[in-house]
Amino acid sequence: MKRLMTVLVLVAGSVCVCGAQEKSDTLREVVVTGTGTERLLKDAPVQTEVISRKVLDSYGGRSLEDILSGLTASFAFNEGDMGSQMQLGGLGNGYVLILIDGRRLHGDNGGENDLGLIDPHNIERIEIVKGAQSALYGSDAIAGVVNIITRKHREGGVFLENTTRYGTYNDIRQHNGVGVSLGRWNSYTNFQTQHTDGWQNTSDEYAEAKLLHDSKNKTVNRYTNWQVAERVTYTASQKLEAYAEGSYYGKIINRPQDGNHPSCDVYTYDLMYRNASAAIGGKWKLKDGDAITLDVDWNKHAYYYKYTATTLEDGYEPNGRFTNYFPYFAGQRNLQSDQQRTMAVLKGVFHLPYNTLNAGMEYRYDYLNAPMRVRGGEADDWTAALYVQDELNPVAWLNVTAGLRLNENGGFGFRATPKVSTMFSMGDWRVRLGWSQGFKAPTPKELNYHYLRQMGAKTFYYMGNKGLKAQTSNYVTGGVEYRTSRFNVSATAYANWLDNMITLVNVPLSMVPEGDVQYYGDGSADLVPRMYKNMEDARSCGVDMNLAYNVTSDLAVGGNVSYLDTEAHAYDDKSERLVRVTIDGMAHWRWNTYVTWRHRFGRSYRLGVGLYSKGSSMRYYQNDGNGKRYQVWKLNTSHEIGKQSASITYKVEAGVDNIFNHVDRTPRPYHLGTTTPPTMVYASFSIKFHQGRKINTNIKKQNNYEED
Amino acid sequence: MKKIKSLFIAALAVLTTFSVTSCSDDDKDEVLDNYTRYQRAVDAQVSAQKKSDKAILLVAFGSTWQAAFNSFDNTVKAYQQAFPDCDVYLSYSSAICINRAAAWEHKDDGAEQRNYYAPNFWLHAFGAVKYKQITVQSLQVIPGEEYGRVINYIKDFGNNYLGDLDDEYLSEVEVRLGTPLLNSENDVKNVASILNEEFKEDAKTKTVAFMGHGNPSSEEHDYDIYKANVRYEQLETELQKFSHNYFVGTVDQNANKKEDVWARIKENGAFPESKEIVLNALMSIAGDHAHNDMYGQGEEYWNAEEPDSEENSWFEYFKNVAQYEKISTHDLPDGELRGLLDFSKILNVWIEHTKNPIELTEVYHSMYPEE
Repeated sequence: MKRLMTVLVLVAGSVCVCGAQEKSDTLREVVVTGTGTERLLKDAPVQTEVISRKVLDSYGGRSLEDILSGLTASFAFNEGDMGSQMQLGGLGNGYVLILIDGRRLHGDNGGENDLGLIDPHNIERIEIVKGAQSALYGSDAIAGVVNIITRKHREGGVFLENTTRYGTYNDIRQHNGVGVSLGRWNSYTNFQTQHTDGWQNTSDEYAEAKLLHDSKNKTVNRYTNWQVAERVTYTASQKLEAYAEGSYYGKIINRPQDGNHPSCDVYTYDLMYRNASAAIGGKWKLKDGDAITLDVDWNKHAYYYKYTATTLEDGYEPNGRFTNYFPYFAGQRNLQSDQQRTMAVLKGVFHLPYNTLNAGMEYRYDYLNAPMRVRGGEADDWTAALYVQDELNPVAWLNVTAGLRLNENGGFGFRATPKVSTMFSMGDWRVRLGWSQGFKAPTPKELNYHYLRQMGAKTFYYMGNKGLKAQTSNYVTGGVEYRTSRFNVSATAYANWLDNMITLVNVPLSMVPEGDVQYYGDGSADLVPRMYKNMEDARSCGVDMNLAYNVTSDLAVGGNVSYLDTEAHAYDDKSERLVRVTIDGMAHWRWNTYVTWRHRFGRSYRLGVGLYSKGSSMRYYQNDGNGKRYQVWKLNTSHEIGKQSASITYKVEAGVDNIFNHVDRTPRPYHLGTTTPPTMVYASFSIKFHQGRKINTNIKKQNNYEED
Repeated sequence: MKKIKSLFIAALAVLTTFSVTSCSDDDKDEVLDNYTRYQRAVDAQVSAQKKSDKAILLVAFGSTWQAAFNSFDNTVKAYQQAFPDCDVYLSYSSAICINRAAAWEHKDDGAEQRNYYAPNFWLHAFGAVKYKQITVQSLQVIPGEEYGRVINYIKDFGNNYLGDLDDEYLSEVEVRLGTPLLNSENDVKNVASILNEEFKEDAKTKTVAFMGHGNPSSEEHDYDIYKANVRYEQLETELQKFSHNYFVGTVDQNANKKEDVWARIKENGAFPESKEIVLNALMSIAGDHAHNDMYGQGEEYWNAEEPDSEENSWFEYFKNVAQYEKISTHDLPDGELRGLLDFSKILNVWIEHTKNPIELTEVYHSMYPEE
């Protein structure tokens, strides 16, 4: 506790800055995620963390990972080839539901979403609700929900926007937006690309049973991704609006081919992704802000090996027989997994005399095509849900939000997950209490995967487990918040108990099914069988503390501190007893601080300066060492040029990331505290053109369900 | 409600179209093409090399060490001399070794970049040019799991598993199988006496330990499908007839790993006064196992907390646990570790097996294999 107090004092006393908040901003911020209805942040019955557009503008983030890790203390990341290794409240990405405008982000690799699908320059705000607190989105959000609200560009006429950001390691981020509004039709096209040459924090690597000093493996490999997205909206009448949208995304991760050690740093294939989506839907606005919406979408996320040299790999002989000796040639690709999802959601919000009712139904069909990784090549699953959530204000100082989600899963049956949140209001004080249950059925991958991979000197045999049980959770939270126009402080404690948590663990060779003997041949003595298994129990608990103070209308300081503790037990097949296991990546403390100053000079120039820091105590892992503690600092400056009313405005950003050059040089493959590269400088230039009638988008005047 | 209903139906119709069109599999054509394309590279080599109607295919697991490449090259030369009327080919049965030899593993150790091919591609190429006699020689040490795979390659070939070879040819081709080094108990005796000739001076005053591979077996899982591990015990028994200082252990055979060898040394009262031990791989070539599992030196090969760990090398184990003061090997003139193919008399045992192969008269079954 002493350490906690010390950190709090440090945060409170630090002369740091952050997202320049204008005077009344914190009172005007609106959130939608917890209840599905627009609520002032101050009065949101479900504790919601918000990263607003202004904060995002001041921060100048290069990616969603950068934004979430730099502006909240709740998340941990370890960017790498296999995804971002996101954690929220000690739980991995598999338990975090990422929504884009209320709709689920699709596709994962090893449980990690590809966050490159989100254009960091097209985010209006980010809302974070921890735990399975909302009945609206799916009970599988056991760790929480991150809702990315994108920018809507509903101005009339023509709108053009370009942001190009360039930094060390050829880090390129480009965002292009074209909006056209013609009568009842509105179109918005977004093109984004992200690229880095990657970086190498150390050339030391343990491989071939010795420490190599000339490994060519990078800490983060070179990658390029791009995405084109189109959304067309048709406003049939004041009451009826329909939309159609689609996107296509590609990513390639280039791995070293010129190393000296094929057992670790010479690769004969790159990793390639293709993601596509299509959605249509509509919204029927009823009287008094009531509305019914329908969304139907289809998504595809495919993962390939793309060969750079002739390679014998898993494949099917011309007679259809599976072989580990199928030849692939440079330039060809080999499908590893193609996850497809079709989903329909029908929901409504109804304002009744004393309460607000949310109700909806959802159907989801998941299809997995993985010819090299699943017996028979494919697997599928479906989930249907009905939910109802009611917001009730029996007296002015009390809000009760209660919800129930009824889930039915193809393989794992029925489960009801109730949720209750209460908020007590006393002047500028809010006290929030919540309890919720979660439910997450094993994924088709966890049930069916079955493949062999050579990684470094070891051969891993990954096994799904048809005997898995569904995961369930109980989440309780309690928090106090004090919020005025200039000052906001909050502390929220939570505990999350998980039953049957699914995790990938090493198992004895004897667990490899007898029929899989043919897989053993090439692996020799170094075969490591790994299987998805249910842990007996797991628990994470913690306290999040936030502080924000607008010292003047230009100057703001603040910070967040997060304390976390986890405990889990699993049955060990080797010793045949229950053993305590570490939840990988857990760190007791994470924090960030900010100081921002934003000032307008004349009518055509505004300067913003922000100093940010983020840090973490040691991260704990079951194998391959713990990640070292770290603290990194970032300075961002922004220069807005042009009158706010002008048709063309410009913005220049420049900054230094990791100012004090903190680099974790732990040899591979041991865990790093952070994969942050050495000091990076960057600059970006944005230009916005707008022609036509501007619509006042004053948030206060909107009272509609703003999720889409 | 009508509006909702029509919206829902329209939405489903559009989405269904999308899902259907997206499910087409664009990888299927590539599969056939790839196989043919790869096969053609092997076909080209066979066409260029074919001088006779008889082919010998040597099948090794594979390795990426230059010492192993040299041993295989010398073996091919010895076979060419011993079988002047045959075309001699060498294949790797390990995809990983094939990939890594092509990716130039051990470049910094001075190794060459090599392209090896798997036995199925060679056999198919032999069938395409209609060799009249094909002898497949296993370069395995024991008739174990790897040897089983060699037999399966021959079965696939004989069964015309891709269905594109001439069935009439397959019903007539003479297919023969050369057995592994320690195929019979006579082989064990023969090899024991050859090894004794090489190591007898050492065996007078030092421990001489051989490290084979072995097939793991346990109550739950038995990879020792042909019960071939027994050959290691038989070899130790035969060698101990020459000297009680000989021991034969393995990397993978249960109850016959380094710690078990050390237990037997103590049990036999065979710890030598000289405190010296000579190590040699009981494998066809000196590859990863010989360099790392047997002769790996330094802290990366030694975990004192778990002396019996599979990560620990024989060298470090015998130094730290058994307290041997001198650990040596019988190197080749160029300083490289030796595999069994590097002993010309042992190579001759394999050559004898090729000269006296098993005639596989029943290898051809039909267009449609039994599986």
